[in-house]
Amino acid sequence: MKINILSKSKNQIKIELEGAGHTLCNLLQKKLLENKNVDFAGYDVPHPLVTKAIFYVRMNGASKPEVALIKAVNEALKLNNEFKNKLDKALEK
Amino acid sequence: MKIEVQEKDEKIIRLIVKDVDVSLMNSLRRIIVSEVPSMSIDEVVVIENSSILQDEIISHRLGLIPLTTDLEGYNLPENCSCASEFGCNLCRVTLTMNSEARDQTQTVYSGELVSENPAVIPVSDKIPIVKLSKGQKLKFEAYARLGKGKKHAKWQPVSMCTYKYYPKIEVPSKECKDCSKCVDICPKRVLGMKGKRVEIKNLLACNLCMDCVDECPKNVPPIKITWEKNAYILSIESTGVLPPEKIIQQTTKILEEQLTELKREIEAIKK
Ligand SMILES: [Zn+2]
Repeated sequence: MKINILSKSKNQIKIELEGAGHTLCNLLQKKLLENKNVDFAGYDVPHPLVTKAIFYVRMNGASKPEVALIKAVNEALKLNNEFKNKLDKALEK
Repeated sequence: MKIEVQEKDEKIIRLIVKDVDVSLMNSLRRIIVSEVPSMSIDEVVVIENSSILQDEIISHRLGLIPLTTDLEGYNLPENCSCASEFGCNLCRVTLTMNSEARDQTQTVYSGELVSENPAVIPVSDKIPIVKLSKGQKLKFEAYARLGKGKKHAKWQPVSMCTYKYYPKIEVPSKECKDCSKCVDICPKRVLGMKGKRVEIKNLLACNLCMDCVDECPKNVPPIKITWEKNAYILSIESTGVLPPEKIIQQTTKILEEQLTELKREIEAIKK
């Protein structure tokens, strides 16, 4: 995976995610929107056969969007981990 | 989050997942279909083929034969230390075939493939490859490799993987009397009659088609079909290459790897 910055200012960022599609972006968008400091978060997959996505985040106030992105990924990791543990427990029964 | 195994056998698993949002379910589904690796024949060296089918057609048919997969024992060719386009015994399994119709017309089945590793064999012995008439021969060496469904559907470990909303049906017994129209129309036989009343017989089979609501003769149909918030039924049907519970466990592992990689990349641009 590779990230290219398309545009960036103090409270917004537009990045291109090479090698990511709906699988990661939809989860990431959902988690970003749960953060009340995020004003807007959205993504677009310009072509269905090219694994590339454009992600845009805008913050309320002057906080850094990269911080919100990392927080969102951490939340997603936590969610996935919870799923994994609960699944293992359910399979044991 | 709550997870419950509703049904499980060697091919199928059905999970009821509650208190989770749809984006996680969709990520899991997409990974199962396109990212979980499985073994499939990828390259064929034909030594002799006097059958009626061309080498290419036979190769294509061979690729579509599901092979039991050993994920721990093999590497994906792109991650293998050999870095060779021919592969090594850590990223490639050789299967051979030597078949001849001696006395009469005969069908060559997947069961005749001889694998160098007894853990990587066709899931079924009864998949027809080609029909040979008397005197025709088929001899080849085939190389199976790990691959992902996003490159070719032959590497998909599942024949079906879906999730649906957990249905919620309300039939007020006061208003529903003497009419069995909704019971008869339901294609999934979710509803049944108990005396003169409508009862729910098989809730989980409901696919929210709303035929019962449309069929109701009343102006305001008393039967109500809705779905539980944040509750899903995840169904996975394996082709037999991997046990279904292994597929879903592998999926969570892949999602974790991808998220960790994404996090590392975001941290790199943060500076
Ligand atoms: Zn190798």
